[in-house]
Amino acid sequence: MERQRSLLALILILVIAALAFSWRFPAPLGLDLRGGSQLTIEVKPTAEIPQITERELDGVKKVVEGRINSLGVSEPIIQTVGTNKVLVQLPGVNDPEQAERVLGGTAQLEFRLQKPSTETQLLAFQASRAQLKAKQEELRKSQDQAAINKNLEDLKNNNQAIADLFESTKPPLDGKYLTDAYGEPTRQGNNWNVAIRFNQKGGELFAELTKNLAGTGRSIGIFLDNELISAPVVGVEFASAGITGGSAIITGRFTAQQANDLGVQLRGGALPVPVEIAEIRTVGATLGQDSIKTSIYAGIGGLILVLIFMVVYYRLPGLIADIALIVYAILTWASFCLLNVTLTLPGIAGFILSIGMAVDANVLIFERTREELRAGKSLYRSVESGFYRAFSSILDGNITTVIACAALFYLGAGLVKGFALTLALGVAVSMFSAITCSRSLMFVAISIPALRKPELFCPNLPNSGASNQAEVAK
Amino acid sequence: MKLSINKSRSLWWAISCAIILAGIISMVISWQNPNIRAPLRPSLDFVGGTRLQFERDCNKPGNCDKPIDINVVREVAKAQGLGDSSIQIVADKDTRKENGILIRTKNLDREQRIKLQTALSEKVGAFDEQKNQIDTVGPTLGRELFNSGIIALVVSFIGIIVYLTFRFQLDYAIFAIVALLHDVLVTMGMFSIFGLAFGTEVDSLFIVSLLTITGFSVNDTVVIYDRIRETLKTNSNQKITEIVDDAVNQTLGRSINTTFTTMLPLFAIFLFGGETLKNFALALIIGFTAGAYSSIFIASTLLTLWRERTGKYTVGEATGVTDTSVE
Repeated sequence: MERQRSLLALILILVIAALAFSWRFPAPLGLDLRGGSQLTIEVKPTAEIPQITERELDGVKKVVEGRINSLGVSEPIIQTVGTNKVLVQLPGVNDPEQAERVLGGTAQLEFRLQKPSTETQLLAFQASRAQLKAKQEELRKSQDQAAINKNLEDLKNNNQAIADLFESTKPPLDGKYLTDAYGEPTRQGNNWNVAIRFNQKGGELFAELTKNLAGTGRSIGIFLDNELISAPVVGVEFASAGITGGSAIITGRFTAQQANDLGVQLRGGALPVPVEIAEIRTVGATLGQDSIKTSIYAGIGGLILVLIFMVVYYRLPGLIADIALIVYAILTWASFCLLNVTLTLPGIAGFILSIGMAVDANVLIFERTREELRAGKSLYRSVESGFYRAFSSILDGNITTVIACAALFYLGAGLVKGFALTLALGVAVSMFSAITCSRSLMFVAISIPALRKPELFCPNLPNSGASNQAEVAK
Repeated sequence: MKLSINKSRSLWWAISCAIILAGIISMVISWQNPNIRAPLRPSLDFVGGTRLQFERDCNKPGNCDKPIDINVVREVAKAQGLGDSSIQIVADKDTRKENGILIRTKNLDREQRIKLQTALSEKVGAFDEQKNQIDTVGPTLGRELFNSGIIALVVSFIGIIVYLTFRFQLDYAIFAIVALLHDVLVTMGMFSIFGLAFGTEVDSLFIVSLLTITGFSVNDTVVIYDRIRETLKTNSNQKITEIVDDAVNQTLGRSINTTFTTMLPLFAIFLFGGETLKNFALALIIGFTAGAYSSIFIASTLLTLWRERTGKYTVGEATGVTDTSVE
């Protein structure tokens, strides 16, 4: 009995911790519940690039990230999906019109020439830009939309001011001439550089550009979607012919991370792959609120009926199962919060369904217990073999459910994934609560003499009385 | 009460066959129907297109005085070359008055969509931006979604066969899958009929429901199999018909109670839950009912028939026994 008591204490602690945790860190709500827009951007292959690889997809994602940040949406989610898609979630955006316009086009990368005697201005603008960006990060956390928009306006003006300090070459040296860009460690190995490669025509234009700038202290402005992403200067040694050969290295004491980021940005801007918006889903904020409310009420209503049914039908064990079910619900909810599962409507449905299904384990055990009691075994033995013999059915049943969930999770997308994950988590926790929690409670219950009556476990027992009672005492 | 399920097994099979056949006929009819062209009426998720749902803002004075005239909405759509769109007037939740418009059309781009929205709100009243729902799905995405759903279904079938063969024997696994196919077919058939009768569409959540039905139904079958295996171990000389009959009867209380407790929240969601989940809950209700039926009346009777024919009465003779504890 000592063991059961300490198990129960452990469960109690777990439940309290779970409650505290889910109170403190609630699971994030999906777009279908909080309202907002979701866009799926498909990257199309072309004759030159018949296969979209991870490199291209990362590039596109980087470009999309840059553009979304310029929209000033708080908490956007941008992730790659499958082999050729980027998923963008914009919470709170009811009309995706602007996002659609901004995201639809191909990225514009351009190498520009800094105008003479603008060096100090550029430094000043860059410094204020860094401040504005830091402020933007802070504001995003505060979710003060007015302040975010104001700061965004400042950033835009700043970007334009910087862009005004540069001019395009003739013809413009843009992304279509760039063949590759990637971060690589310096020969000494303590820093990183970014290597860039041009095609032949691009190489010529680049040589021309660098010849003009070499030794002047003015920089090449590398612009992505009209925003300066890097401004390297060219050494005086290239003054005669410029940087020739179509390849160059941007040095600048980059960390590996920074060098990679810049490489990806450059590649994204150079992408000759067109993007297309394959799907847009917009849910109004109040619409989401409505469905979450009604679904949760419905789920709780259904659950209460289940709890009542269990007590009426299974008596004392039913009550114990109810406690185990509530423990189950609390622990499962906490595990969603812990794993930061985004709750969608189907996810919540999966959760409610899993509560209904979690009852199954208890039902199996109690039916088995009743059978053993009817066969004339003692109460203690019946309860014990009820748990023991039902276990293999419970395990088999749950594993087959998990197999279906795994298939859904790996092959499905979006909403489907959420459902599979919540259902699988529910199944796992239900095994724990049915076996550990119900079991311990049950054994504690039969150790209390007042509760040690077979009628409390099984009504209309044929020969409830002497033989059972006597054996219980053992 | 004791059921002798094997005595009237041809009756159980006939019932299932009749329901499945009705479903298949409905799928064929629906395939021939020029408006559907698929066994089940596919939603936007699968065929692509744009779905717009607007609701009038009734907080503005006078905005909702007159009911929405569906003909006015049709005129507006027709004027923009969207005459073949499906248009519905829907009731909003709070007031139960018909203040919403649901339009399903071919793929609209941003300009076309805004044009339609503006024209509509001029004719019928201002819309509440907070309640707009706009979905646009490209046709390629739908096909992908459909394919991945089918693959998920096949993969989980294979996974279940492998697992059950390992835990039980191959013939158990095969009949469990037959029962699964039964449940999936019944659900699809019913939804095909609903599609013809009430215009019910199947979306990506329908595929989710099919997979959930798969998991649940096999769960049910396994409990009965578990009991059959257990009895075979102790009473290997008993007739297989009796063993199966007993196993079903011994687990009947559990089957009914589990199905019942799972159905309670489902009915609650179906009756009172959010709009999106209604059909999902309905599919699960049908599938779970079929699942309980097929575990009791189909999977077990087929196993009996098979064992009678092949003479595999006992565990001792069976091949591929995984249980080593047999005396």
